[in-house]
Amino acid sequence: MAKAILYDATKCMACRACQVACKQWNELPAEMTTNRGTYENPPDLSPQTWIKIKFIEMEKEGKLDWLFTRQACMHCTDAACVEVCPTGALSYHELGFVQYERDKCCGCGYCAEFCPFGVPKLESGRITGVGVMDKCTFCIDRVTNGLEPACVKTCPTGALIIGDRNELVAEGRARVEALKADGYSNAYLYGEDELGGLHVLYVLADRPSVYGLLEEPEFPVLASVRENIFRPFAWITWGVVAAGLALNVLVARARQVRGKEES
Amino acid sequence: MAMVERYTPSARWFHWLITGIFLELVLSGLLIFIPWLTSGMVGTWIRLIHRIGAVILVGAPVIFALVSWKRAWYFVREAFMWGKGDIGWLRAAPGYYFGGDPRLMPPQGYINTGMKLYRLAILFGGVVFVITGLILWFFKGVISPEVFQWCVIIHDVTFIVAIGMFFLHFQLAVFHPRMDEGLLSMVDGKVSGVYAKSHHGIWYGKITEKKEDSSATSS
Repeated sequence: MAKAILYDATKCMACRACQVACKQWNELPAEMTTNRGTYENPPDLSPQTWIKIKFIEMEKEGKLDWLFTRQACMHCTDAACVEVCPTGALSYHELGFVQYERDKCCGCGYCAEFCPFGVPKLESGRITGVGVMDKCTFCIDRVTNGLEPACVKTCPTGALIIGDRNELVAEGRARVEALKADGYSNAYLYGEDELGGLHVLYVLADRPSVYGLLEEPEFPVLASVRENIFRPFAWITWGVVAAGLALNVLVARARQVRGKEES
Repeated sequence: MAMVERYTPSARWFHWLITGIFLELVLSGLLIFIPWLTSGMVGTWIRLIHRIGAVILVGAPVIFALVSWKRAWYFVREAFMWGKGDIGWLRAAPGYYFGGDPRLMPPQGYINTGMKLYRLAILFGGVVFVITGLILWFFKGVISPEVFQWCVIIHDVTFIVAIGMFFLHFQLAVFHPRMDEGLLSMVDGKVSGVYAKSHHGIWYGKITEKKEDSSATSS
C-alpha cells in the first residue's frame, strides 16, 4: 500500500519546524547563510538541507498575500532520477517513495540534472568529481518502523500528515472542494496525477505556478531516450557491426584473398 | 622487393598509447552502467579513472602537436586531400573488401579514402567528445539542465559510434586477409614492397622515385 505525505499550504504557517526536525533526525549540520531580506532560509535545498519552506510575497486585490510552500523530494511514481542513476542508489520503495541509499552513490549527479524539480543536490570536487548526492529519504528508517517522518511528526498545525496515498488523495480533494466553496476558485490538489502521481500531495489555494511549482512537470524525454532506446540500441548496433565485419572476413577468406600477392 | 618503412617509431608508440587510453576510457565508460559493480566508492574511482584517461587522450595529441606541429598539421590536412582516386575507391571498395578483383581499385596515396573518412570521423568525433565531456565535467550545476542532458546524450551517441569504428579498425588490421600486413606494420613499422605497391600505389611510387633520385645523386 503506497504511502504519501499531504502538505496543506493553507494550514502552513511557515514556522519551519519541519526544517529543524529534518536536520535533527537526519543529523544534518546547519548552514551559514546571509540575510537576503526574507525569512526564507537557506536559499535552496542542499546536501545538508533536504526540506525547506519557500516564502512567496505577492499582491492580491491590492493587499499583500504571503504564500508558503514545501520544497523537498516529491517522491514521483515516474522518477527521472531513478531512471538515470547508474548505480541503483536511487530506487522505488514498495511503499511508493523514492528510496535513496547513500552508500551506493558514485557522485555522478545525473539525478540532479534530470530531476524536473531540481531536488537532488550534490557537492563534488570540481576536478576530481568526488562527492555524494543527498536528498529527502522519506525518513525510511522511521516510516518502515511505524513512525511518522520527522517533518510530519513535528508539524504543529497539521499542515503535514502521512497516510495511505489513496486516502490522502480523497482527503486532499475534499479540502480543495472546501477551498473552492470558500471562494478560492483556483484551488488545486497537486501531485494526484503529476509524473504518474507524486507521493507528496499539495493542497494549494491557487494555481501551482503561483506557488512556484511546475504547472505540468514532465518526465525528461532525454532520460527515457537514454534508458529505453540507447541502452538496447547500443548493444544491437555493436552486434550488427561485429556480425557484418565477421561476415566480411569470412567471405574474403573464402575467396582466398591475400594482401601480398596482388599486382 | 625490399621492405619499406611505413610508421616511424614515434608514430607507433603514439598509436599504442592512444589505443591503451582509448580502451581504458571505453571500459570505464561502460562499467559505470553496471549497478552491482559501480555502487559507492568503486563507481567514484571509475569516474576518476575516466577523467584521468580523458586528460591523457586529449593531452597526448596536444603535446605531439606542440613537439612536432608539422606532422600533426599534415595528419589533419591529409584527411582533407581528396582527388579522383577517392571517387574510384568509393566505387570499388565494396567489391574490394569482399575479396573482388583488386585491379578495379585505383592506386591510393599514403592513406586511402577509407582511412581519410576514418580520420575525419576521429577528428570531428574527438571534438564532440571533448566539448561534451568538458561540459559534463566542469559545468555540472552551472549550465542549464537541458544543455547538460543534451551533452549526456551526445556523449552517448559518439561513444556508440566510436566503438563501432573501433571494431572496424580492429577487423581490418587484425582479421581481414587483404590487410594481412596491417597489424605487423604498426608493430615493426614496415610493410613489404609488394604490399605497399598494391595497397598504396601512389605513395609507393613517390618513395621509390625519391630513393632512385637520391641514389642517382649520390653515385
